[in-house]
Amino acid sequence: MNAVEVKELRKTFELCTGKAFNRTKKLVEAVNGISLNVPAGQSVAFIGPNGAGKSTTIKILTGILRPTSGSVQVLGLEPWSRRSQLAREIGVVFGQRSQLWYHLPPDDTFELLARIYDLSKSEFRARRDMLVERFKLESFLKTPVRKLSLGQRMRAEIAASLLHGPRLIFLDEPTIGLDVVARQELRDLIREWNRNEGVTVFLTSHDAGDIEAVAERVVVVNHGRIVLDDSVLNMRRDYLSSKIISVVFHERPIDKYLPGVKLLKAEEYSRTFEVDTRVIRIPDVINEVLQFAPVADVSIEAPPLEEVIAHIYGQAAPCVVAS
Amino acid sequence: MRFLRKYWFIGLLAARSNLVYLAEVYSRILFMTVILYIFLRLWQAVYTACGTDRLAGLTLQEMLWYLTITEAIMLSAPRVSAQVDEDVRTGAITGKLVRPLCYPVAIMSANLGERTIRFALNFIAGSIVTFLLVGPLHVSFYGLLALAVALPLAFVIDFLSCFMVGLAAFWLEDTTGVYLIYSRMSMMLGGMLLPLELFPEWLQQIVKVLPFPNVVYGPAHIFLKPDLHEMLGLISRQCCCAAGLSLIIAMMWHLALRRVFSNGG
Amino acid sequence: MTKKLLNYIWLLGAYVRLNLSSEYEYRAAFWSQVIAMIINDCCWLAFWILFFQRFPVLNEWKINDVITLWAVVAGGFGLAHGFFGNAISLAGIISRGGLDSWMCYPRALLPHLLLGKTHVTSWGDAFFGIVAYLVLIHPDLYHFTLFLFLLLTVAVTFVGFSILSGSLGFFVGNAEVLSEQLRFALVSFSTYPPGLFDGVVKLVLYTLIPAAFVGYLPVEALRTLSLTDAALCLVGASFILTVGATVFSIGLRRYESGNLTEMRG
Repeated sequence: MNAVEVKELRKTFELCTGKAFNRTKKLVEAVNGISLNVPAGQSVAFIGPNGAGKSTTIKILTGILRPTSGSVQVLGLEPWSRRSQLAREIGVVFGQRSQLWYHLPPDDTFELLARIYDLSKSEFRARRDMLVERFKLESFLKTPVRKLSLGQRMRAEIAASLLHGPRLIFLDEPTIGLDVVARQELRDLIREWNRNEGVTVFLTSHDAGDIEAVAERVVVVNHGRIVLDDSVLNMRRDYLSSKIISVVFHERPIDKYLPGVKLLKAEEYSRTFEVDTRVIRIPDVINEVLQFAPVADVSIEAPPLEEVIAHIYGQAAPCVVAS
Repeated sequence: MRFLRKYWFIGLLAARSNLVYLAEVYSRILFMTVILYIFLRLWQAVYTACGTDRLAGLTLQEMLWYLTITEAIMLSAPRVSAQVDEDVRTGAITGKLVRPLCYPVAIMSANLGERTIRFALNFIAGSIVTFLLVGPLHVSFYGLLALAVALPLAFVIDFLSCFMVGLAAFWLEDTTGVYLIYSRMSMMLGGMLLPLELFPEWLQQIVKVLPFPNVVYGPAHIFLKPDLHEMLGLISRQCCCAAGLSLIIAMMWHLALRRVFSNGG
Repeated sequence: MTKKLLNYIWLLGAYVRLNLSSEYEYRAAFWSQVIAMIINDCCWLAFWILFFQRFPVLNEWKINDVITLWAVVAGGFGLAHGFFGNAISLAGIISRGGLDSWMCYPRALLPHLLLGKTHVTSWGDAFFGIVAYLVLIHPDLYHFTLFLFLLLTVAVTFVGFSILSGSLGFFVGNAEVLSEQLRFALVSFSTYPPGLFDGVVKLVLYTLIPAAFVGYLPVEALRTLSLTDAALCLVGASFILTVGATVFSIGLRRYESGNLTEMRG
């Protein structure tokens, strides 16, 4: 069964430019023929540059906007005509917009949400206690949200959107602004929820790490069309296969050639390499590097997603890849 | 001179940034229309009921012009106290202290510049409405002259009071309430809705020694009924009031600075 | 149907509790805002008391009638925006695209959205209205029951009018100022004795700016214990609420079609 079925989705906006009598109307195609099926239980990353039609698509899928043409079924419902009913089945997290009450503890928001979603007392307690345990909210459940760290806040935020047991959850930039540790924690939680509870995850992010850690499948949109639709495994192989390793040594290192490793920068005590992980594994590279000289510091980074996406745009001419 | 020019520039800048809001003018006119129309009907009924053509020495026409000026004065007040309050709370005030400007004087320049424009806007909007409702006012040269002296002093007094309320943020958790009480007091006791002559005798005695009429009633009344004796009285009262308030502010300022430096903000 | 209504009342209770405890996090600010509003209302009452001391009768209205008027208008306004505080910010919410997050809940959009926030100072108004009526008018039980009923119809009228003026945000680029002015006009006209207005203005006060339904008719109903007038208040309130809700839902279709999103850029 498909959680999301989108056929030939189009959305045209009327854009008015100029003032008063010089007003001209221009049609802008924000979404220009997107077709997409997401099987229940899958986790999909939906990415693209700003203005690509990402948020318009999500607004249509959640019932906020009506499309110009095309058909959409989310959990078997047409979102805009059955918005209320659909809202009981989906959860939505906007990384930039909180549904937690800023001056109150998360627990109070949970209680209100229970009322909004008509949960019975026992149902609510059971669900909340489970979320508190899994998301480790215990220590700050009674603390006003304004006093929480961003990481704690986002954990509570996602827990809040899972309270009514949605079958599908939309996450819009959930890790924005988080530090590395909090980001990793959150990714683990989302993935765990997806795997164990079978919740379908629809994620947008600018962070390549989020996509790698959470999603099985990547859909890239640009100019209102799908330009790439592939499994993360393939994408990693094709586009995310390189890692950047920076090493600082205590002494001057000896340089040695390794296959699949390219020297990007060399200073007296430091080296930066680009590693092709299809050719050589990261641990092997590290092992080799340790031989060069006593190591003071190592860092491993993925190339930023912008670069990866730019790479995809460079390669893929606008075409729709069937899933 | 260079010293003064700095503050002149701050005032000018605040005035200019307020001119941008031309849409403001529309909404001011709308606002003034509603208020002044209601006042006209109210006082028409009163004059008819009393069967006189003068109350508190004012004709109906003059009464409406009086209310136009007092409304314009009250409505033009920028929220100084809120700004000072915020500067105190965020600690921005300590940042501003290190700049080569005297904080109270700098903020006063900005305030007076903004207020002048806002008063002009309100007054023009109100005048258009009042002119259409009751016709022109016979303006005397001395009246204008008196207004030109009394009004700036009134603005200074109002500013100083608001600044004082804002500074109270060093000691109080919230000053918006205090500000609202102050503004209601000046509205009621300053004579925005009723000229002081119409107050009961006992209240007139009390109000005379309070600062509020120097801001509202004083300038409006001297403009309509210029009189040298009253003028001198008003200006001396205004000056005393301003001096007194400055003294209190200076004291508060020193106490506050001690707090800032001992607590590190 | 009943079950659904009860369900929403249940939800209303939850929102009121949360709203109040959220505002109460800053105790001093909460109380100073509430008390300042009570003082504000008292100032106006003081003005009218002064006024009626000087001019005892105004178009057949006495001081008690004006006190009743203020009690009804302030009380109704207070209840309306204390419970449905977002009614006041509706125009802003629409123009900033704030409906999105409310649309993700399984509830009727408009009532749920209105519940989302409380307007703190309104509680001061509500308190003032009820206490002023009890203390200054000494009503018997019958009058007081009717008063409470009228508070409800007045509150519904205010909510309906706020929805109507706020929904202009769907049709005009930025309707915040416009909607504020309309609300201001309603409050201003309804807080003066209605006998002052006649002709076209009177017609307007029964239609476009329904001041008659929040001020004049409720006072008439209480003065003469007229159930006809009370019924008229109820009819007027339902009508205005219906119009407001209809305009909102028409506007919402524009919102859903995304005609607004581009304006926001």
